Amino acid sequence: MDITVTVNGATHSGCVEARKTLADFLRDDLDLTGTHVGCEHGVCGACTVIVDGRPVRSCLMLAVQAAGSEVTTIEGLATDGGLGPLQQAMWDSHSFQCGFCTPGFIMQATAFLRAHPDAGERQIREALSGNICRCTGYQSIIDGVLLAAERSRQG
Amino acid sequence: MAGIVAERYTGASIKRSEDPRILTGAGRYVDDIKLPGMLHAAFVRSPLAHARVLSVDLSAARALPGVVAAFTGAEVEAMTVPGPDALMALMGASGPSPEFTLLATDKVRFVGDPVAIVVAESRYLAEDGCDVVEVEYDDLPPVASAAFALEPGSPPVFANLGDNIARPHSRTEFGDVSATFAGAERVFDFHIDVHRHQNVPMEGRGCVASYDADLGVMTVYAATQSVHVSRIAVAMRLGMEHDKVRVLAGDIGGSFGLKIGASREELAAAAAARAVGRPVKWVEDRGENLTASGQAREESFDVRAAVSNDGDLLGLDVKVVIDTGAYPGMGTMVPSIMQEMMPGPYQLVALGFESTAAITNKASYVAYRGPWASETFVRERVIDLMAKDLGIDPVEFRRRNFAARTDPPAMMITGRPLVGVTSSESLDRVTQLVDVPAFRRRQAEARQRGRYLGVGVATFIEAAPGPRSPDGPSGPMGMESMRLRLEEDGIVALFTGQMPHGQSHQTTLAQIAADEFGVPFDQVRVVVGDTDVVPFGLTGGSRSATMTGGVALHGARQLKVKVLDFASHLMEASARDLQITDGNIWVRGDPASAVPVSEVARQAASGQFADVDANLEVQATFDGGEGGWSVGTHCAIVEVDIETGLVEIERYVAVEDCGALINPAIVEGQIRGGVAQGIGAVLLERSAYDQDGNFQSATFMDYLLPTACDVPRIEVEHLQTVPLDADVNFRGVGEGGMIVAPPTLVNAIEDALAPFGVRIYEQHLPPARIVELIAAATAGR
Repeated sequence: MDITVTVNGATHSGCVEARKTLADFLRDDLDLTGTHVGCEHGVCGACTVIVDGRPVRSCLMLAVQAAGSEVTTIEGLATDGGLGPLQQAMWDSHSFQCGFCTPGFIMQATAFLRAHPDAGERQIREALSGNICRCTGYQSIIDGVLLAAERSRQG
Repeated sequence: MAGIVAERYTGASIKRSEDPRILTGAGRYVDDIKLPGMLHAAFVRSPLAHARVLSVDLSAARALPGVVAAFTGAEVEAMTVPGPDALMALMGASGPSPEFTLLATDKVRFVGDPVAIVVAESRYLAEDGCDVVEVEYDDLPPVASAAFALEPGSPPVFANLGDNIARPHSRTEFGDVSATFAGAERVFDFHIDVHRHQNVPMEGRGCVASYDADLGVMTVYAATQSVHVSRIAVAMRLGMEHDKVRVLAGDIGGSFGLKIGASREELAAAAAARAVGRPVKWVEDRGENLTASGQAREESFDVRAAVSNDGDLLGLDVKVVIDTGAYPGMGTMVPSIMQEMMPGPYQLVALGFESTAAITNKASYVAYRGPWASETFVRERVIDLMAKDLGIDPVEFRRRNFAARTDPPAMMITGRPLVGVTSSESLDRVTQLVDVPAFRRRQAEARQRGRYLGVGVATFIEAAPGPRSPDGPSGPMGMESMRLRLEEDGIVALFTGQMPHGQSHQTTLAQIAADEFGVPFDQVRVVVGDTDVVPFGLTGGSRSATMTGGVALHGARQLKVKVLDFASHLMEASARDLQITDGNIWVRGDPASAVPVSEVARQAASGQFADVDANLEVQATFDGGEGGWSVGTHCAIVEVDIETGLVEIERYVAVEDCGALINPAIVEGQIRGGVAQGIGAVLLERSAYDQDGNFQSATFMDYLLPTACDVPRIEVEHLQTVPLDADVNFRGVGEGGMIVAPPTLVNAIEDALAPFGVRIYEQHLPPARIVELIAAATAGR
């Protein structure tokens, strides 16, 4: 099927097989390999991207379902040559270890903080409870999100 | 993003140099590799636990558009060379040698056993091909438990063995076991089970294999804990000379022991790549990972303990049966380590240790973070059970039985010196932090209101690397090598065989080398993941802090000597008067003489110096120095909801001594991550099989991992260590959290349920099981 989708601000038109997931479309057709595939059944959250402002599991969404949408992936977050504020806070907080779950956490947290800039630890933990990290025990990730929220409140 | 400057990097929570790429999606994991003409592999897998393979028909798959090739097990055998498991061969494991093939030929031996490989233009098409492969099976009785496997009539999983014994029964005694038990005031008997669970890294196994027929060179991009061990496996099974195989690795999405060497599937994918003449990628999906990558634990213990009425622990007599699953792996090697570690930090008069390992129709036993950990679970569990019966506080029981730190050091009854072991200090500190007496008052008051709180402690020692043996010529973990070179642009490059998969070696090793050599952190580069340039090595066994940290320190020192020697010719000063700080070489006392290291490196590379050694490179080795133990005691406070069986961890405190810290934030990340896996093991995770060997937990809806709502804040405090070595007192910290968290939690849960008389003899305590335990204990009253 022919689709047009905007990814990180750039418009892509092309033909994709109807069964192809959005995750595979991003990774294979657009070479945006920052989006990782961790379970392919919507539990681990590693493949989370933002579609029209909402966090979406790109392993559960077909590429054709994203036709006409605006998609943001991890590659779309960094500012010119640097890290975005959440990424910077996570670097400062030693948030991650192996890094495989990282893009999903960052996309989920980005969408969540936009909607809930004043969220506290409990809310953040709940918002991120659909993302699995096997390395860290989560505390460093939560601390990174809390730090980013605090910095954004201080302007 | 540069510009990290500190007076001394070692000991500071320097931000990770891995993070800028990882945080931006620029990390390069194996599934991110894309080669021209690359094909994708998928495997046909057995739906049965145990069956004869009568026929495999690939014709329909081969006829599918997009399918390039498909191979049966027999065809893969014809393309490869038979051989043992590479890790077992490397470790010199002996004992029964099952004959097996990369893909099943005569028989399938567990649900998920690979039977055929289909190679196609995309993974979608490869799976389409698998769907139309016809395999005819003839069911055999499944060997679904170790107990059945050891019955004389059980059908052998491997015909050439004639039985299902993976490791013959053995018994070893230290001290006089029978006299100790005969003379003991009290003898306790327990049966304790540890359930099957597994690594589950967020990235599964995978590889991209590419064969250059003109050069006869195989290149494998791997997700591995050791590129060299992978290379040994590929060369051996593909019948190639080692120098014709190159293994590369980039970022790796976790492993926890799973990705040592190359798996049967990776070897089959490499063989397929050579056969079809195009690169082949295989990246397992989560179903394959849970079903077929391997699992761990599932051990059952019979423990006898001899104690005095006052709580002096005199002897242990331990019998373990290990369910090793189908194919050879870590399961046969674990008993020796368990035996050695069984006494822990306690002074025993006698120890008996018996083990048997059984082959069953389940996924193979793999190394999982602290592979021998069940000995700590069993010991720390038994201590609480006995303390309760003797009416002694379990904290006091432990304190009473720790070996004293003496000079010369007390010896473990199994042979190693307990040198520098701070178990007693960690126990004192953790109970002080938690304020156990205050908790007991709160616990009593809560019980009045029908709320059930409990406190549990457990302690561990980990040979990371372990002490130098009094009679051994080399260190506790063999040797570690590193090549270090001052590059032409002034970068100090460290080439290490470590293969980080979350451990942050590119940060920690650079911290050590930067301090020792005298350059800024950003001027050190840690090179990993290429058999053509890095020395042999393996990331595992919590070895890297001591072994690789140590070789980085000594190697940087040697390189510095060499660089100063060369610089002395340039600067017309004695090397003894030269020093390096902040990336400049200068004559002591004369700051104006400073020359950047990069300038000296450029001169050395110019080829102008005939009579001087201008090759600014060293090959360093390190034997572990004096070594030492990593030690710690953890404490948990839990609340159990007796209606639902849910356990909430109110507080979790870890007091550890892992020597001198290289990077506290990274150390604490390792501890917390290990504890989180221990929490998962106790409250959530189980690799479940039914009685016919059908796998029951092949998705994340069935195999439950802890989330951000399940893992509490984990408080970590570091003890002042007892330095043993003149230079290298870093110790490994990778496994301790996973080793000690399960007994810590189970001890706390049992304490919470004490009013019901619940006694716990198992590790897996999901809500339903807790409700059952309460019901069973109260029904008996």
